[in-house]
Amino acid sequence: LPICPGGNCQMPLQELFDRVIMLSHYIYMLSADMFIELDKQYAQDHEFIAKAISDCPTSSLATPEGKEEAQQVPPEVLLNLILSLVHSWNDPLFQLVTEVDGIHEASDAIISRAKEIGEQNKRLLEGIEKILGQAYPEAKGNEVYSVWSQFPSLQGVDEESRDLAIYNKIRCLRRDSHKVDNYLKLLRCRIVHNNNC
Amino acid sequence: QSPPGKPEIHKCRSPDKETFTCWWNPGTDGGLPTNYSLTYSKEGEKTTHECPDYKTSGPNSCFFSKQYTSIWKIYIITVNATNQMGSSASDPLYVDVTYIVEPEPPRNLTLEVKQLKDKKMYLWIKWSPPTITDVKTGWFTMEYEIRLKSEEADEWETHFTGQQTHFKVFDLYPGQKYFVQTRCKPDHGYWSRWGQENSIEIPNDF
Ligand code: NA
Ligand code: NA
Ligand code: NA
Repeated sequence: LPICPGGNCQMPLQELFDRVIMLSHYIYMLSADMFIELDKQYAQDHEFIAKAISDCPTSSLATPEGKEEAQQVPPEVLLNLILSLVHSWNDPLFQLVTEVDGIHEASDAIISRAKEIGEQNKRLLEGIEKILGQAYPEAKGNEVYSVWSQFPSLQGVDEESRDLAIYNKIRCLRRDSHKVDNYLKLLRCRIVHNNNC
Repeated sequence: QSPPGKPEIHKCRSPDKETFTCWWNPGTDGGLPTNYSLTYSKEGEKTTHECPDYKTSGPNSCFFSKQYTSIWKIYIITVNATNQMGSSASDPLYVDVTYIVEPEPPRNLTLEVKQLKDKKMYLWIKWSPPTITDVKTGWFTMEYEIRLKSEEADEWETHFTGQQTHFKVFDLYPGQKYFVQTRCKPDHGYWSRWGQENSIEIPNDF
């Protein structure tokens, strides 16, 4: 039940976090399923995997690379980083649906999940905005919008390059989804439970 | 006598998302004393490194302590077998510590028969997370399962308890002995093995 001091209804922070984390957890599962489906096709192909792995385009965002690093980022900064990270996937997810269409056995499985992630990301962004608005109102709107798609366009590209790019994109999506989920779980324990989960 | 057969990296696991171990299966030794080495490189880096610790995790293993473990990065790992006649390398394994998490089982499983205010009796089952996993800060999120079985039953009765480290069981047969075990799983990873079994006699007046 929302608390309504002076008629301004607010959901308790704990509940906001729980909801947001249910979303990030679900989104991660979708991205993991997507990757696993795709990876089945290349499982023993070490050469393909070696060629496919390249920098994740979102790596220009300075996301913390481990536990201690993440704990040193001020919560409102980390929340804004998460917003940027999730936002930066909007277009690439949209493009993925077209890129994958009809070219793989796993196409349908990938497309349906990409669309679902797109939908759930919107709700995730709203939830995180609410948390910022409630707990760190002065930091609201400090999101960094710099990471526009540095994903390569797959127009007119040969089959192999296209497959390599798709593999890397989905691998990066899984990773970024895991980061978002883990960062939020760290933030919940820090902000709501005083690091005593 | 011949060069060694091709070794194979059998499995890599992290119990805590902060360290990890890889184990390999030696190939044939070609009838000669054979040495194994594990080398690796990390995504985005050009340097190849050797295993920092061959001892901690037992034979045919390499342990990466906290200092050597990165998460959200792919490690490219190879095992090399060498004898007097030559050497043989395994296929490279691509592994991201993020996705190979398998914890130790829960600890301190305690069983106690208790009573509610209305005199209704129940079995109170409690346990702790495994020692090295950092659940307090939320770095690690753990889920649990318990299973119980009376001495007479053939099958275990399993209950998922979510992130809770306790559970109440109400419908038990009086005078019977029950066995209980717990196991745990990270939010994204593998179930641990079932932990130490504990048992309790349910009183006759249950
Ligand atoms: Na990855
Ligand atoms: Na060893
Ligand atoms: Na480390």
